[in-house]
Amino acid sequence: MKYHATLLIELKDGILDPQGRAVEGVLKGLQYRAENVRVGRVLEMELQAASESEARATAHDIGKALANPVMEVFIVEAVKPLA
Amino acid sequence: MKVAVIQFPGSNCDQDAVWALQLVGLEAELVWHTATSLEGFQGAILPGGFSYGDYLRAGALAKFSPVMQAVRRLAERGNPVVGICNGFQVLTEAGLLPGALLANHTLHFTCKEVFVRVERTNLPFTAGYHQGQVLKIPIAHGEGRYYADAQTLERLEQNHQVVFRYTPNPARSTPASTPRPAARRPGMVWEDGVGESSFNPNGSLHDIAGIVNEQGNVLGMMPHPERAVEGILGSADGLPLFASLKQALEVMA
Repeated sequence: MKYHATLLIELKDGILDPQGRAVEGVLKGLQYRAENVRVGRVLEMELQAASESEARATAHDIGKALANPVMEVFIVEAVKPLA
Repeated sequence: MKVAVIQFPGSNCDQDAVWALQLVGLEAELVWHTATSLEGFQGAILPGGFSYGDYLRAGALAKFSPVMQAVRRLAERGNPVVGICNGFQVLTEAGLLPGALLANHTLHFTCKEVFVRVERTNLPFTAGYHQGQVLKIPIAHGEGRYYADAQTLERLEQNHQVVFRYTPNPARSTPASTPRPAARRPGMVWEDGVGESSFNPNGSLHDIAGIVNEQGNVLGMMPHPERAVEGILGSADGLPLFASLKQALEVMA
């Protein structure tokens, strides 16, 4: 069975995100009242697994391998079976 | 006395590192990142560049290269390992050094000469300097902002693991008060108290430019000592680092 998984990797709270600041500055220039803009990453992948929980566990392991715990957190956002 | 210079796909300061090692009379050999052994090498340099195109995060994919297991074993045996710029990023990603290197607070890739103060000289890399000596060495990076949590920073300071710290140009009398340039385009945000004209080029905590592990045999630094080894390059202040390394290896042998 194939599953589609989405992994979010974000900077931890409290860590300066200059990219987010730059985006925020531009948004403010466009008159949007946006604050605390943070830029993260989305990783999408297809996983071969026997069950949804196995796919979710694999996505979690991949998040652990790819995120740097010093400054990042990851979230397995969604795991869905592929039709 | 042979030192390995590790080549990752995207390394680009490898030949400069070989040149610097050879200048002080060390044998240097390029080692491709798929190598699984560093037998016969007494030390290793992880050079600057853009391993794996800096994809995901600088150094994040290089840490999975087979050679990193061998680098880890070399470090665990107490042999000297130096990570310069991208090499420093790889060492932190691999957990051989604490902390992480984040995007410069200016969001610029900054390539210029900076000044760093030598904070510790009882190391295989800095014995040729004197305590407090100020070196002129170039930096060239987009992700050099040293970050570690408060406890880690405190431990680094207590153990004297900070080896190099960004410092004002000694030739200028009041560098800290230099006014910051105005933001040049929308979206450009200056951090309070730290601008591009400040001596700290990337917003590193504690002005950290280079650190060692607790054992003192693994060094990571953002400035490029291998680009400051001859007068014609504008500075030879990096040369004693390689000369110190040679001396240390001779003592170890």
